[in-house]
Amino acid sequence: MDPKTGETLAKLLTAAWLLPLLGFAVEIFAGYLWSRRSKAAAYLAVGCIVGAFLCSASALYLYRQLPTIPVVHHEASHQHGKAGHDETKPVHGEGTVVAKEEEHHTDPAPRMHSFSGTHYVLAKFSNLKISIDWYIDSLTIVMFAMVTLIASCIHVFAMGYMSEELTEEYEDHQVHTSHGHFSRPGRFYKFFAFLSLFCFSMLGLVLAGNIFLVFVFWELVGVCSYFLIGFYIERKSASTAANKAFIMNRVGDFGFLIGLMIIWTSFGTFQFATRTEADGQKQLGLFDMVRGADGKLDLQDEPGKKAVLLTDDHDHPLLAADGTRRSIPYILLIGAGLGVFAGCVGKSAQFPLQTWLPDAMEGPTPVSALVHSATMVAAGVYLAGRFYPMFVPEVQLVIAYVGAITLFVAATIAIVATDIKRVLAYSTISQLGYMMLAIGLGGWAAGLFHLITHAFFKSLMFLCSGSVIYGCHHVQEMPQMGGLRKKMPITAYTMLIGVIAICGLAIPGVDVFFGGVAAKLGLPASFQNVMSEKWAFSGYHSKDAIVATAMTYAQLNPLHALLFILPLAGAGITAFYMFRLWFYTFAGKPRDQHVYDHAHESPWLMTAPLILLAAFAAFCACGGEKGFLFTMLLGSEPAHVADGLAAGATSKLALPSHHQIHDNHATAGFYALVVAAVGTFTAYLFYGARQFKLNPSEVQSRFPWLYTFLAEKWRFDDLYDVMFVKPVHIVARWCAATDRLVFDGILHGACRIGIVVSHWDRLFDENIVDGLVNWVSNVTYGAGSSFRYLQTGRLRQYVMFIVVGVVLVGGFGLFWLMLRIRPS
Amino acid sequence: MEFTHLVHLSWFNTAYSLRLFGPELAVVAGILGLLFVRLFNIERFFPAALVAALGAIAALGLSTHQFVRYDQYDAYKIAERTREEAKAAKAVLPVGAGRAATEAQRQLEYRAEMQSLQTRGGYFTQLLVFDHFTVFFRVFLLMFLLCVIYLTVISGIPDREDAPDFYVLLLGATLGMMIMASANHLLMVFMGIEMTSVPSYAMVGFLKGRRKSSEAALKYVVYGGGAAGVMLYGISLLAGLLGTAHLPEMVQSLAEFSRLHTDVGHDQAIRTLVLAVVMITVGLAFKLSIFPFHFWCPDAFEGASAEVGAFLSVASKAAAFAVLVRLCLAMVLTSQLVSVDAKSAEEMVSLMRLPDILRQVYMYVGIGLGVLAALSATYGNLTAYTQKNIKRLLAYSTIAHAGYMLMAVSAMMVILNGPGELNANRIHQASESVGALLYYLLAYLFMNLGAFAIVALVRNQTFSEQVSDFAGLGKQAPVLAVCLAICLCSLIGIPPFGGFVGKFFVFYNVAIAAHYHPVMYVLLAIGVLNTVFSLFYYMRVVKVMFLDPVPEGARVVDIAPLSDAGRYALLATIPVLLLGFFPEQITRLTQDVARQLF
Repeated sequence: MDPKTGETLAKLLTAAWLLPLLGFAVEIFAGYLWSRRSKAAAYLAVGCIVGAFLCSASALYLYRQLPTIPVVHHEASHQHGKAGHDETKPVHGEGTVVAKEEEHHTDPAPRMHSFSGTHYVLAKFSNLKISIDWYIDSLTIVMFAMVTLIASCIHVFAMGYMSEELTEEYEDHQVHTSHGHFSRPGRFYKFFAFLSLFCFSMLGLVLAGNIFLVFVFWELVGVCSYFLIGFYIERKSASTAANKAFIMNRVGDFGFLIGLMIIWTSFGTFQFATRTEADGQKQLGLFDMVRGADGKLDLQDEPGKKAVLLTDDHDHPLLAADGTRRSIPYILLIGAGLGVFAGCVGKSAQFPLQTWLPDAMEGPTPVSALVHSATMVAAGVYLAGRFYPMFVPEVQLVIAYVGAITLFVAATIAIVATDIKRVLAYSTISQLGYMMLAIGLGGWAAGLFHLITHAFFKSLMFLCSGSVIYGCHHVQEMPQMGGLRKKMPITAYTMLIGVIAICGLAIPGVDVFFGGVAAKLGLPASFQNVMSEKWAFSGYHSKDAIVATAMTYAQLNPLHALLFILPLAGAGITAFYMFRLWFYTFAGKPRDQHVYDHAHESPWLMTAPLILLAAFAAFCACGGEKGFLFTMLLGSEPAHVADGLAAGATSKLALPSHHQIHDNHATAGFYALVVAAVGTFTAYLFYGARQFKLNPSEVQSRFPWLYTFLAEKWRFDDLYDVMFVKPVHIVARWCAATDRLVFDGILHGACRIGIVVSHWDRLFDENIVDGLVNWVSNVTYGAGSSFRYLQTGRLRQYVMFIVVGVVLVGGFGLFWLMLRIRPS
Repeated sequence: MEFTHLVHLSWFNTAYSLRLFGPELAVVAGILGLLFVRLFNIERFFPAALVAALGAIAALGLSTHQFVRYDQYDAYKIAERTREEAKAAKAVLPVGAGRAATEAQRQLEYRAEMQSLQTRGGYFTQLLVFDHFTVFFRVFLLMFLLCVIYLTVISGIPDREDAPDFYVLLLGATLGMMIMASANHLLMVFMGIEMTSVPSYAMVGFLKGRRKSSEAALKYVVYGGGAAGVMLYGISLLAGLLGTAHLPEMVQSLAEFSRLHTDVGHDQAIRTLVLAVVMITVGLAFKLSIFPFHFWCPDAFEGASAEVGAFLSVASKAAAFAVLVRLCLAMVLTSQLVSVDAKSAEEMVSLMRLPDILRQVYMYVGIGLGVLAALSATYGNLTAYTQKNIKRLLAYSTIAHAGYMLMAVSAMMVILNGPGELNANRIHQASESVGALLYYLLAYLFMNLGAFAIVALVRNQTFSEQVSDFAGLGKQAPVLAVCLAICLCSLIGIPPFGGFVGKFFVFYNVAIAAHYHPVMYVLLAIGVLNTVFSLFYYMRVVKVMFLDPVPEGARVVDIAPLSDAGRYALLATIPVLLLGFFPEQITRLTQDVARQLF
């Protein structure tokens, strides 16, 4: 393996990472100089992000050119796995290169390289180094490509969408002041500056090579999100939503910080990967310390003192200063995992912190597409995936349950939401729940697979909704739409692609047929792979993988069958509400003639990104589990995932292995497809058919309590209001009262004493101190004025003074000498 | 000694001396040029200021060369080089070489011998002395002379009619000061002082037709004449008692004298000696305007134009300090006679041991100078309080500053002659005192020049020199007002200006001197107190400039920030800042110069 490739990759990705920062720096400062009508900021931002995409794409290409890592069989003493598994251990390349490899039981996935290094050391506290590290594996590269590609599309889209800001006087129709609407100068440049800053932060988060740096960028994306949600800061709803998002995230970040503290105290490093420094010193990474080369935890199972023994990268035990083995208590490891996961919960809007995301839709739609569906909210999932080796099965169970609950709750709310963007927002939460669920169940690659596919189709749908909103002049309520497909065909059909993709619809049977055809024709193996997969858009493949994992998990741990039932039901609900959205918006007859009449298709600047994204939404997962994207991700899967975990090895929970999942794949895919089809059909019955076969309002009136419950978002906001906001208000009132009565009283008393004292002090000052000063100055001034009289101006006297002076000085000098000098 | 040798010697001596005397000769050439201009009436083609400036520039160039390439002029270095040449010539000389070659060789050896006869840089038969100190003061004075010439060109104080006369006087006075700075003989000291004084008298009275000016000049002449007489009397007494007026020899004569006369109280000779020293001190105190010999100063400054005031306050004071330092060291330093071979500090110290009684006397001389300094500073500062005329105010300010600077000399004398063995460390401390004096002089040059120059420039607009007429200057001519404020603050000694650094060094050395005699603490306290006193009257001017409104019917001051006047103010003020901001580099220079004296 060529370490130079690692350097090149690092340079390319660093360039991709820093380009948006450059863009931001120029835009935010030069923005003041440019005219408010200038599009320069947008051009610059687009240029930067497209440049970043090109860098990422070349990095992806370069990465694919790398040869796979040869399998190294190692000694029997390290064999922990079942028979037939090739146990491998990491191969350490030269310099900063660390090879990670793994072996798949049935279908060996190519092993991918990973690289890491340091850009700059920020600070050093004895052992702990805080530095700007980078870590590159296939996940990093795929994320980079995805983020930059989607961001490029969205930047271009935003040039059209935000064009109303290109004015000296932007009138905000949603802000009412005492004299009509509020108006302000347009903030076109600011929007793009924030977008650029966001891209920089997001890419930095992905590239970061230690958990601390991840946290730094974590907060940066958070603050960008805050800026962008509150872009229309004058709107009360927007500023409240921005605050809400920020505060909710803080709750999660609090857990994150606790996790960081545990990691710092227990491991003394934040770094992901083991690395040899330039000075030849080896810096152990977190993952190597916790897990052996085979990915197993080295447990020390004493009753009441369960702990994980730490090892170095060659599985040699690490010793503490007193010669005992270094270890971390199992409970602390759980704490660290849950802490970091708490951060993910906040960022990815998981239950119970999910309520901020729907409100975040107050931001401009491109922001919703980029930040609040495709990238930033997925960062939580990304981090859960990146930090996977640190999670023990108990933590994973929590993750899985959080994901399952989230996906179900959000999906049910989406059924009754009428705001087009809010439906999509709930859909986003739900899909993020799927991803978390997959990570929690041990379907590492499945979760991240869904992350990527979801990013494409969800950003596509958001942009479509943006196009609709733009075309309908800022109408967002679906009941006012209908039949829009005739007015905006491109938007409608690209949206349909997204909807099909998210629902996970596929055409059954075609896979067998075309696979056979391809085999007959003797096409290359890769084509055969593609052809023999189901004909479906990206969402099918990824959701299929998740459902299969869930099913296997439920089989292994029958106690947790809910973890299979909920996602399966969720798949059906997803299909229902997504088609409901599409039918509501684009099919049927116009429900509001005024809106319909003024609706128009968006300009090409906005539709072109839609088409591009639609293509990716449809085909990015092409080939399913044998396809490019999945194998790419699989290449970076942590070593212990593939084998699963037998119950009792580490804990009572078992994790499915690739082999087991593969066996369930077909069945699970079938279930998922059936459920999705049912959901779709139901939606058609309710909303799609020419005469509503089923009247939604009838159902509504039959289950009014359910409808209200869902429409009020499971009453989470009310619950939080009662649980947190109100108590805080009460405590605050108490504090204020204490402050006013007790502390103010003390302060006022002290002030009164101060006044009395200073009154006396003043008397002292004026009479004694000033008197003294005045006396001195009077004396000196008086002396000065009296000295004047010496200068009489009479020449005769002057000359006489010479004589007097000589006599005085001479006489005095002589006298003095006579007094003082004693002959020696 | 053969007659030919004598001729050789005198010829060689003269040639060598003329080379060292170059800057003075250039000034003389300038004077001659001015006289020619006057004689042939060609002022239209060669403005007098230009000719004077050319002379000054030539002199400055020569003395700068002497400063930078000191080794080329140093007698010892030349002797060493010549000796090496002779050795080399001898080495290559073949056996039985021609007579001419032998002659050349002999000539070289001879020249080396002659060169080494020059003791410690003395030239013109030891009447003058050439060392770093001399050269420093030449550069200092000539630089200042150029500044003053430029100022007179801008402010136009000598009209075209009188310009050549004025510049002849200016150059002549400078020549006298340069001789003062390099005097090595009591007579040369006196001659230098007179050469400085006589043109000064004329310059003070140069504003013809103004009664005040003429009166001031008369007072100055009579007072100066009296002081000069006293000083000459003192010189004659001293030379008579010691049998020499040659500075390097004085220390030996004094040592012998002290051995002969031990009874301080009753010996007539000692009383005479004390009187002589006091009389010489009086002569110098007159030049320095030290209380109580300052009476001429306020009157003369008020009568003279501000340009002349600037010249007299800085240049003649600097030259007088040079003389004072030389005289003090001549009395103390036995190393004046020590040959250059005594390189190590220990050897030097052993040679420099003076009789104890003499050292006690010297210490009291130092303390006496300190008393004069304290009186002068206090008197100057306090009397300045009530002055309404700014030139008069600045005159009292110069009296006070002469006091501060005298503290450095006093500190030097106390450090050198205080109780205890004289060692290398003390010599180093004493040299630092002189370095502090030089630094103070440098800062004083610019801040005082700046103050006087701005007074002159404003006078050209308002035709007044009253403090109250500076009201509102901060609005009307901000550059001038700010520059004047900076100069005044520097005169007070507020950081970060040059005046602060100079004053700090002086006080620091006074504090060191206090280790040797506690009365110096009193001097230090008086110095610090005086700084507080001085705050009042300087700040009053600043307050008038910036806070007081322009009075009704006052003449409008119209000076653009980058006019000649504004630029001149900046020219004078920026060095004040530089001296304040980069004291290290400049200290290194002044300390080097001072160290060479010891």
